[in-house]
Amino acid sequence: MSDDYPSLLRSERMSLVQLFVPTEVAHDTVHELGELGDVQFKDLNPSVNPFQRSFVGEIRRIDDMSRRTRFFDAQIEKEKDVVPVRPLYECAPLLTVGPRSAQTVDELDTTLSQYESKLTTLNESYQTLSERTRELTEARHVLRETAVFFDKAHTQTSNIRSSFDDSATPLLTSHDDREGGYSAGSFDLEFVAGTIERSRVPTFERVLWRVLRGNLYMNHTDIAEPFIDPSTNAETRKNVFIIFAHGDVVLAKIRKVAESMGATIFPIDANADKRADALREVENRLEDLQTVLYNTGIGRRAELVKIGESLRVWQDVVKKEKLIYETLNLFNYDVRRKTLIAEAWVPTRDLTKIQLALRHATEESGTSVPPILHELQTSKTPPTFHRTNKFTEGFQAIMDSYGISAYQEINPGLFAITTFPFLFAVMFGDIGHGFIILIAAVYMILREKAMAKQDNGEIIGQFFYGRYIILMMGLFSIYTGFLYNDLFSKTLHLFHSGWTFPDNSTRGVYTGHTYPFGLDPAWHGATNALVFTNSYKMKMSIVLGVIHMTFALCLQVPNHFRFKRKSDIYTNFIPQMLFLQSIFGYLVLCILYKWSVDWTKSPVSPPSLLNMLITMFLEPGKVDPEKQLYPGQGFVQTVLLGIAGVCVPWLLISKPYLAWREMHKTTGAGYVTLGNGEETAIARHSTDETLEGEEEGNGRAIAEGDEEHEGHDFGDVVIHQIIHTIEFCLGCISHTASYLRLWALSLAHAQLSEVLWSMTLDGRTDPKSIGGWIGLGIMGFMWLNLTIGILCLMEGLSAFLHALRLHWVEGNSKHFEGGGYPFAPLSFAGEGSKEA
Amino acid sequence: MEALFFNIDNGFLEGIVRGYKSGILTQNQYANLTQCETLEDFRTQLSATDYGGFLANESLPLSTSTIQEKATQILVDQFNYLRGNAVEPLNKFLEYITYSYMIDNIILLITGTLHERDTHELLERCHPLGVFESMPALCVATTVEELYQSVLVETPLAPYFRDCLSANDLDDLNIEIIRNTVYKAYLEDFHSFCGTLGQPTQDVMQRTLAFEADRRTINITVNSFNTELSKEQRAKLFPTIGRLWPEGNNQLAKADDIDQVRAACETVSEYRTFFNDAGVSSSSAHGNGGIDDLAAASMLEDRFFRMEVFLNKQAFLQQFQYGVFFSYVKLKEQEIRNLTWIAECIAQDAKDRIQDFIPIF
Repeated sequence: MSDDYPSLLRSERMSLVQLFVPTEVAHDTVHELGELGDVQFKDLNPSVNPFQRSFVGEIRRIDDMSRRTRFFDAQIEKEKDVVPVRPLYECAPLLTVGPRSAQTVDELDTTLSQYESKLTTLNESYQTLSERTRELTEARHVLRETAVFFDKAHTQTSNIRSSFDDSATPLLTSHDDREGGYSAGSFDLEFVAGTIERSRVPTFERVLWRVLRGNLYMNHTDIAEPFIDPSTNAETRKNVFIIFAHGDVVLAKIRKVAESMGATIFPIDANADKRADALREVENRLEDLQTVLYNTGIGRRAELVKIGESLRVWQDVVKKEKLIYETLNLFNYDVRRKTLIAEAWVPTRDLTKIQLALRHATEESGTSVPPILHELQTSKTPPTFHRTNKFTEGFQAIMDSYGISAYQEINPGLFAITTFPFLFAVMFGDIGHGFIILIAAVYMILREKAMAKQDNGEIIGQFFYGRYIILMMGLFSIYTGFLYNDLFSKTLHLFHSGWTFPDNSTRGVYTGHTYPFGLDPAWHGATNALVFTNSYKMKMSIVLGVIHMTFALCLQVPNHFRFKRKSDIYTNFIPQMLFLQSIFGYLVLCILYKWSVDWTKSPVSPPSLLNMLITMFLEPGKVDPEKQLYPGQGFVQTVLLGIAGVCVPWLLISKPYLAWREMHKTTGAGYVTLGNGEETAIARHSTDETLEGEEEGNGRAIAEGDEEHEGHDFGDVVIHQIIHTIEFCLGCISHTASYLRLWALSLAHAQLSEVLWSMTLDGRTDPKSIGGWIGLGIMGFMWLNLTIGILCLMEGLSAFLHALRLHWVEGNSKHFEGGGYPFAPLSFAGEGSKEA
Repeated sequence: MEALFFNIDNGFLEGIVRGYKSGILTQNQYANLTQCETLEDFRTQLSATDYGGFLANESLPLSTSTIQEKATQILVDQFNYLRGNAVEPLNKFLEYITYSYMIDNIILLITGTLHERDTHELLERCHPLGVFESMPALCVATTVEELYQSVLVETPLAPYFRDCLSANDLDDLNIEIIRNTVYKAYLEDFHSFCGTLGQPTQDVMQRTLAFEADRRTINITVNSFNTELSKEQRAKLFPTIGRLWPEGNNQLAKADDIDQVRAACETVSEYRTFFNDAGVSSSSAHGNGGIDDLAAASMLEDRFFRMEVFLNKQAFLQQFQYGVFFSYVKLKEQEIRNLTWIAECIAQDAKDRIQDFIPIF
C-alpha cells in the first residue's frame, strides 16, 4: 500500500471521528489536542448564536483578561524608556492543565485585575500630578511673560506720553500704546492673563475683538516647549496671553470666552513685588511636585517592569484558553449534560497518536474517565491535508494558492518541486546569476533557526518562506547556465571548441570535434549568434512544453483509477492524448529529427517547421518536394490529421453517451432516483453494531444531515463535456504557443545581462592608469548592484511569475480538479507566532 | 457626459462610500442583535459585523452612550476621510452636509446657555460633524444680534441667520423659530446648490431635500397646534421647496388640526399613507385631543424616518452622482439611532419595544 508512509502524491487519508469527552477532562483534552495540532473540529451547533453557546461566560472572562493584557502591552509600549519584555521562550511556562487548571486561571485572572487596578491608580495619580505640574508650569510662564511685558511697558512710558497727541501716528499703534501707557502708569486698567492652545489663538483673538468691539488690548507670546499629555503622549503647544480691558462686564465676558475656548486663566497681580512672590511660590511648589511626580513615575515603571517579566506568558495562556473555549463551543452536550460530544477530522494515520494524547490528557487531569474516540462512516468529503516539511512547504504553498486539490487527488505540488525550478531556470539560465541566488538561499538556510525566530518583515519574510524554492531555482539556473554557456553574459571555455577561425576570418571552420556539453563558446560573439540561439531556444521551448503537457495529461490516469471512473480513461484521457500527440507530439518529433540531420550535406535546404505545420492543416496530404523533411511525409500527416480530427467528436460525444446509456439502464429497470439514499444505506450497514447504538444520539443525525447531493443531470454532463472539449482543443494550441515564453524570457535575460556588461564593464577590465582603476571600481560597483537588483531580483521575479503561470494554467488545466478545502487543525503553534 | 468624467475626480470616493454602504447592518444582523440578553452579548454580536472590535478596549460595564459615541466616531472618521480626499465641487457638497449639524449644535448651545447648563458638558454633547472653531464662544452671547455679530458672522451659516436677526431676546419659542428659519434657509440654499451640480445629482438630491422640506413643514404645523405661534409666523417658517409647495404649504399654514394636515397632504400620494392610522385614531378619540395628537405625531415621525431611509436607499441605485454621500451619512445616522435604541432596550430590559427600530437593508 502506498499509504504506509506519508507521501505528497496524494493528500492524507482522513477519518471522521466522534469524541465523547467527560466534562471534567474536556478542557485538558482540547488543550492536549491543540498542542498536537492534528485535529480539525467540526461545528456541531451551526445554528446557535455565538452568545448562546455553552462556554460564552468563560470566553467573556478571557476576553476581559486579554483586554487587560492588551492594556499592559499598550502601557509598556507608551513608556518612554524601553521596558524589557521577556520573550516567551525564556519564561517559565504557566501550567493550565491538570487538576489545578481552573485555579491557575482564576489566579491569573485576579493577578491581572490586581495589576490593572494598581496600574490604573498609579496612572491616575500620575495624571493628576502631571496635570498640576502642567498648570504650575503654565502659571510660571504666565508670570514670567507678564513680568517681561510690564517691564517693557515701564521703559516705554516716557516716549509714549510724548506721542500722545501726535496725529501722525497710525491709529492702531497709538491706540495700543495708549493702553499700555495707562497700565504702566497707574495700573488702573484691569487685565486677564492665562494660557491657551496655540491653534486657537487667532480664533480667540477674532472672537474677542468682535465681542468687545475692539475695546481691548491683547498680547500673546509662544511658550517654547510643548506640553505632553502623559496618558496619550500627545503634544500640545500653548501661548501665554494677557488682555487688558476696562470694566467688570467686559472682563467677565473675556473670562467666559476664554474659558469656553479651553483657556486656563491665572490670577495675576498687577503689583510687581507680589508677582515676584507668586513666581517664587509657584517655583517652589513646582519643584516639590516634580519630585513627587518623579517618584510616582519610578513606582509606575517598577510595576511595568514586573508586568513585563511575565506578560508574554499571560498573553500566551489567554490566547490558548480562548482558543480552547472557542473549540469547546463547537461541541455538543449529551442528554445528561455529563459528556461533551465532538466530531472531528483527523488523518487516519495519526489515530493512534491522538488516542495516546487523549490518554495523556486523562492522566494529567487526574481523573479516571478517559475520553472515548471512535471512527464514523461518512460520505462527506474530508478536508485535503498534505503533510509537508520545511522543504516541500513552499512548493505546496505555490500550488495551494492556485486551488486546494480535491481529497486524495494527485497532488501537483509534488512534481512542482522539480518542474518549477527547472522551468524557472530555462528562463533564468546564467551560471553567475544562478550562483548569486543560490548563495542567498544557502545563507537563509544556514541561518534558518535564527531567522525563523525574529520578525523578518513582509518582504524578507516572503523570501525566507521560499528559501528552498530559491535554493532549487539557483541550482537549476546554474545547470541551465552551463547548458547555455552563459556566465554574466560571458562564456566559459571548458572544452575545446568545435570551430576554428583561421586567419582572423569571420567564418568558422568545423573541426569535426563536437563540444561535449552545452553551447559551443565559439557562438559567443559570432554575427549569427542571435539567430542560432533564438532558433535553438524556441524549438527547445516547444519540446519542453509538449513534454510538460503530456506529463500533466498522464496525471489524469491515477485520478481516474482512484475515483473509480475507469470509463474516463477512454472517454477523456485517450482522445486527449491522441489529439495532443498527433499534432504537437509530431511537431516535437520533427524538431528532433531536423536537429539530427546535417543539412550542410543535404541536397535540399532545411524546411521551415512552422510552415510545415500550417500546410499540414491547410493542404492535408500535399507536401512540396522542395520542402519535404522525409519521404512519405504527406501520408503520415494525413493520417495524423485524421486521428486528431476523430478525437474531437470522440471527446465530445462518448462521455455523454455513456451517461445517457447508464440513465437509460436504471430507468429501464424501473428504478427512480432517490438522491444518495442507496449509498448511505450501505454505509450504515457496514458500521459495526456497537457503533450503531452509540450513534443514536447526535452523531447520526448530523452525519446524514447534509449529504452532498450531486444530481447527475444529463444536461449538465453534455454541457460540461462541450466546454471541456472546446477548452482542451483550443487550449492545446494556445498552451503550446504559451510555452514560447520560455524562449522569450530567456532571450530577454541574456540580452539584458549583455547590455549591462557592455555599458558598464566592457573595455574597462584591464585598467592601465589610476583613473582606470577608479573607473573600474565605480563601474564594477554599479554593475554588481544592477546585476543583483535588476537581473537577479526583477528578472528573477518575472521568471518566477512566468514559471508559476506555466504550472497553474498550462500544467494544471490538464489534470487538476481542485475544489477541496484545506485541513485546518486546532493548533496553538500558529497562533503564538502570529501576534508575538 | 457626466458619466464620462465623473470618475476622474470622484470615482475613488464613490467606490469608498459604496464600500462603506455595504457595511451597513442588515436585517439578519439586526435580528441577531435584538436577541442579545446583555450589552456584552451586544458587543460580541457587533464584533462580527463591520464594526469589528470598536468596543474591544472598553472596560466592562458598557453604557449605551459609549456605544453611541464610538459608533458616531466611526461615522465621523469615515466622513472626514471622504472629505479629506474630495475636490470641488464634492468638497463643497460635503461641507453642506455638515451645515445641518452645525445648526443643531448652535441651537443646542444657545438653549443650553439659556438654561444655564455647563458649557463643557454642552460642548461634549455637540455632534462632532458640526463642530467649528469659534463654536465655544456661542455661550457668551445673550441676544441674537450679539450672537450673529460675535460668532456666526464668520461661519458659513451667516447668511442663513440674517433673516432672523429681528428676534430680540432668546427664549425657547424664539430659539425654535430661529432654528426653523435657519434650517429653511439652509435647505433652500442646499437645494439651489444641488441645482448647480447638474444631472443626475440634482435629480437625486432635490428629491431627498424636497422630502426633508416637506417633513419639516408638516412637523412645524403639527407641533405648532395649541402654541403661541401665530399662523403668519408659521407660514414664514415653511421652506419654499418640496412637493407640498406652494398650495400644500398654504393649506398647512391655515391648518388647525391633524385632519386638515392630512387633507393638505392628500395631493402627494406617498404622503397620503402617513396619516392613515393616525387619522383614524384621532377621530375615534377626539375627546382627549392633546395626548392623541402627540401619539399621532410620534407615529408620523416614525413613518418619516422610514420614508427617509427608503429615499436614501434609492439614491444608491443611481450612479455618477453625489447623492450617495449624503444618503450614506443619513443612513449611517439612522443605523446609529437604531443601535442606540436596541442597546437602550437591552439595558433597560424593555424587550417588547426592541423591534421598534427602522431596518435599513
